Amino acid sequence: MRANEKTILLVEDNPNDAALTLRALKKNKILNEIHIVQDGAEALDYLLCQGKHAGRDPSAMPSVVLLDLKLPKLSGLEVLQRLRAAERTKLLPVVILTSSKEEQDLINGYKFGANSYIRKPVDFTKFTEAVQQLGLYWLVLNEPPPK
Amino acid sequence: MVSRAQKIILVEDSPTQAAKLSAQLEAEGFEVKACSSAEEGLREISDNPPDLMVVDYYLPGLRGDELCRRIRMNIEARQIPVLMFTVDDTHAMELRGLDSGADDYISKSADPEVLIARIRALLRKGRESQAILGAAQPHMRDVWMLAVDDSPTYLEKIVLELEQDGYKCDKAASGDECLKKLDARPFDCVILDLVMPGMDGIAVCRRITEMRRGLRNPLAVLMLTAQEGKEDLTRALEAGADDFVGKSSEMAVLKGRIRALLRRNFYLEENRKIIEELKAKEMEAVRAKIEKEAAQARASLAQKLEIANAKLEEANRELESFSYSVSHDLRSPLRTIDGFSQVLLEDYADKLDDPGKDHLNRVRRGCQQMGELIDDLLNLARVIRHEIKMEKTDLIVIARAVMEQLKKANPGRKPEFTAPPKLPVTGDPGLLRAAIENLLGNAWKFTGKKMGAKIELGTMRKDGETIYFVRDNGAGFDMSYANKLFGAFQRLHSQEEFPGTGIGLATVQRIVRRHGGRIWAEGAVDQGAVFYFTLGGPDASQ
Repeated sequence: MRANEKTILLVEDNPNDAALTLRALKKNKILNEIHIVQDGAEALDYLLCQGKHAGRDPSAMPSVVLLDLKLPKLSGLEVLQRLRAAERTKLLPVVILTSSKEEQDLINGYKFGANSYIRKPVDFTKFTEAVQQLGLYWLVLNEPPPK
Repeated sequence: MVSRAQKIILVEDSPTQAAKLSAQLEAEGFEVKACSSAEEGLREISDNPPDLMVVDYYLPGLRGDELCRRIRMNIEARQIPVLMFTVDDTHAMELRGLDSGADDYISKSADPEVLIARIRALLRKGRESQAILGAAQPHMRDVWMLAVDDSPTYLEKIVLELEQDGYKCDKAASGDECLKKLDARPFDCVILDLVMPGMDGIAVCRRITEMRRGLRNPLAVLMLTAQEGKEDLTRALEAGADDFVGKSSEMAVLKGRIRALLRRNFYLEENRKIIEELKAKEMEAVRAKIEKEAAQARASLAQKLEIANAKLEEANRELESFSYSVSHDLRSPLRTIDGFSQVLLEDYADKLDDPGKDHLNRVRRGCQQMGELIDDLLNLARVIRHEIKMEKTDLIVIARAVMEQLKKANPGRKPEFTAPPKLPVTGDPGLLRAAIENLLGNAWKFTGKKMGAKIELGTMRKDGETIYFVRDNGAGFDMSYANKLFGAFQRLHSQEEFPGTGIGLATVQRIVRRHGGRIWAEGAVDQGAVFYFTLGGPDASQ
């Protein structure tokens, strides 16, 4: 199994957070392709191969989606609900990666079918550690659902 | 106050008779309004109600007896005394007049002084009766008569006659016995012999007049006498008798006079009853109005409460979305600052000298501190809006878990921790855990520079209340700042000495208060601190 065939979809509207996430992954030698979309609607278009991503190869699905909760247009939780409702994405691993540790967000995140919930630490050192662990786990250790 | 002249309406169709009678009455100080027909009389009654009516029996149009009936049917006019007079001197006529509702009947041929005496008796009676506004008796009831005569034969005769008419009767052979019997029970009418041995009719009548001012029921006194002298009549009426009848009169006339007297009393009684009913109705209306207003006030209060509640809910929602934004939006830029400071330190280490690196490290420390501050503020906000759920729990179980956590985070430290094996309480486990975390966390922190650090969680009873406490032998505090301990952002130590956000104890206080308890502290610099708290409500340890 070649790790670099696996891709990550990062749904993040904040370019700073996106840049730091990319840096943390790179620092941890995770060199897989990372695709970034900046709002909830585009995340859905990408994953469901519709709208501006209608021409995308439908068989190329990311190994994991890193989903922020606070997003323009569609919120992370709304994106999650739609993904779980669609046949081709209902088993797709989704990790919520957010600043919020509101109890209600945690409850709804798991209720709507998130596979994991990670709170972004303010401390960049801790943030780097967190990204490293989740990258290794989802790209290397985790067996993805059958296609 | 100058008493106004009493007004008499004289209904008389003959102008000469009217003029003569008016002159006689006016000479006695009465104000007289003469009307030539019953219809005019009725109009005058409704325009200017008089104190008394003097009515001729024979009138054009409506007759005197019909006028009397009309007066008696009118609720406002019915209490006006009516004296009927006529040229017709027959008993039949007298009876007809009395039975139509007249209070008294007098022949036109009678002495004018007798007329005046009877008018005064009627007026006096009306005034006295109106002054007594006690509780009224129901109209349909037994009517009690007391016959007073020294002749047993006459007593027997009159009682027999009265009982035939359906009256309840009692007898008295003397004035003394009469007064005793009047004391014993209420009577409606006393038929009193004028001439008696011992106390005579006049004396008894005076006593009754004095007595009946205090009586609830109007009591009629009818004076009976063998001699129908003008002088006796005047004396009797002046003594307070309501009527004066000769023994020689037919029994039918006596009965007619009694009926007239009683009817008059019943009118008064009924009037009082009606007035009372009206008063009661009015009171009822006032009560209903008050109740209605109170209900409206309650409704409006409920509405205001509802609005206030809605506003409160709105404010709560805003607070929630505010703290959500704080948690998310305030942390993101902090992460950016910290992250890129780190990037600078890593990627540009060769281009930065030591002071430059130190500055960047300070930037990073500031970010981390700010991050903690935000987290603590969010915790405080969460405690404020957290819906409290009371359960049975154990403070010791919570405390041991917290101590484990603290030990893991600071493996080098081993303070001595003492606590009883069990401390059952009723409270919100999540909030209590937050409180214990803060209190033990503080004790842990402030004993950090102490050799032989000790932390104790315990309980004591005082004034029937269970008090919990967390004691340490750490840095303590100056009691003169004790009032600042529980305010948000209040700190008694510098960041270098003991780092912290100053929100922890504010959170603990909020939690304790939400449980209905109190919190206070004792301490001295370098002598340690004790934080006491209660949890209100029923004592779970009992």
